[in-house]
Amino acid sequence: MVRLVTIIAALFFLLWLAGLGWAVSEYYAGKQDQVPKASEQKIEKAENKKGLTVVALGDSLTRGTGDETGKGYVGVLVDELKEKTKQPVQLTNLGINGQRSDQLRNQVGQTEVQRQIHKADVIVVTIGGNDLFRGGQGIIEFKNEDLTGIQTKYLENIKAIFEQIRNHNQNANVFFIGLYNPFIELGEGKEMSKVVRQWNYQSAEVSAAFPKIVFVPTFDLFELKVNDYLYSDKFHPNTKGYRLIAERVASLITW
Amino acid sequence: MTKLVQNEMLKLIAKKRLIVIGIIIGVLVILFTYAQYKETETQRKKLGTSDWRTILQQQIVDTTNRLSSSRISDEWKKQLQISLQQKQYYLDHDINPAEPGAPTFIRIFLENSIDLFIPLMVMVIASDLVSSEHSMGTVKLLLTRPVKRWKILLSKYITLCLAVSLIIAIAGILSYLISGTVFGYKGWGAPILTGFNITDEGLSTSDVRLLSLWEFLLMDLGLVWFVAIVVGTLSFMLSVLIRSTAAGMGVMLAALISGAILSNMVSSWESAKYFFMVNLRLTDYMKGSAPPIEGMNLSFSMMVLLVWWAAALIVSFVVFTKRDVY
Repeated sequence: MVRLVTIIAALFFLLWLAGLGWAVSEYYAGKQDQVPKASEQKIEKAENKKGLTVVALGDSLTRGTGDETGKGYVGVLVDELKEKTKQPVQLTNLGINGQRSDQLRNQVGQTEVQRQIHKADVIVVTIGGNDLFRGGQGIIEFKNEDLTGIQTKYLENIKAIFEQIRNHNQNANVFFIGLYNPFIELGEGKEMSKVVRQWNYQSAEVSAAFPKIVFVPTFDLFELKVNDYLYSDKFHPNTKGYRLIAERVASLITW
Repeated sequence: MTKLVQNEMLKLIAKKRLIVIGIIIGVLVILFTYAQYKETETQRKKLGTSDWRTILQQQIVDTTNRLSSSRISDEWKKQLQISLQQKQYYLDHDINPAEPGAPTFIRIFLENSIDLFIPLMVMVIASDLVSSEHSMGTVKLLLTRPVKRWKILLSKYITLCLAVSLIIAIAGILSYLISGTVFGYKGWGAPILTGFNITDEGLSTSDVRLLSLWEFLLMDLGLVWFVAIVVGTLSFMLSVLIRSTAAGMGVMLAALISGAILSNMVSSWESAKYFFMVNLRLTDYMKGSAPPIEGMNLSFSMMVLLVWWAAALIVSFVVFTKRDVY
């Protein structure tokens, strides 16, 4: 008995010693003999699908910044969809705080993001707020040429984003959420509103050029009593504000 | 010599310590298996999918959002960035970093138990190997034999090394058998990446290599074993130095726990990297996560541990052979 245990222990001693030696040599000498090559994974066919798949892309609004419940309009929207459809709804929220349209354009270029888009039944997008309002830091420069520059770039980006989405998914309904003016009650609110309206109009034009991409206005929702619907940073919506957006989008979704 | 070792092994087995350790490990593995199962279950429910790519993508986006918060410390930010880049690398290469199955459970179990749990189990054996001879009064009988003192100590030390090897084996085998009932016994061939280098700019993926999980696990087990031997040797030294087993255990326990706490806060205290207890997480180097103090790498940590090991061994032998026993 004792002998047997001793022998087994000695064998394990040698095994672990070998493992240790291997680990050290692998850590140092192990020059890459097998470089894993970047995979060109083919986008798989939709797997056993049950219920709706929602993919949310965009910035802090998609993330739900400012909502005390942490849901954001996407969370509320998913809850409503679950209730209405009586089906499981799978949400993939890919929103990133502070994301601008050029960054989203990069994001939709990633293989895995494309695979998610491919699987989606409904895609919701919020973008542009950080392009125009510079992350809520300050109000845009009113100098027209700067603004035009920003806007042209932005329009190019969303066009590219929509092209990517449509490339990978011809069937999903895409809801592109427009901008509201959080600064409407401030000093230059009127002029700001004009800029935002123009911005939204151009965005709607780009959306209209693609099939099944619906521009969803939110400007009117926040036009009166904007402060009731804004979070304390006076830029992001609060819980009530998100609910308004979610209800509007929910009413548009068909299945 | 073999007679002496056999004699020590006989004592060890008679004490039934290994069985106790086996039971402790078994119970803990059951707990961890259940916890892990629950975790994957809630995750699946929350995201509505068990597709690992979707989950990983979601984790990447979540981490990106945490990075954009201005309230997190630079240290933490760097660690997050490294784990973010690593996850993205896994995703880009279509490799699941946590292939479901018992082998992955073993890997995670080992990574989490290397700096506290496994050393504790080793201490159960090592800390009274010599001091119990004092407290039971048997040391005189042992030393009156016509055998050199260093030989007696060496036989005890060899027994310790053998017991440590057994403990690692028990941990590996038990976690495989128990977790396999829930996660399945397959997955040895699953691919896993190693060779991520942490540089000043973040994560470097130029040396990344692909391994099979079984290869990776054998390496992990080797590293865990090395750590266990070093910790065992240190407790062994304390057991020679301090006659009271409880006191020796207390000292060792304090050192281990302080190590776990220190690793979380020593990033600015650079010389702390020469303590043995912040160098215990060797498996992290294989996995490629950021070390507690900048500039630490596998060879550095192993050197530090080796120095402590050698010092402990020398002290033990010198003290044991020179000391008066009464």
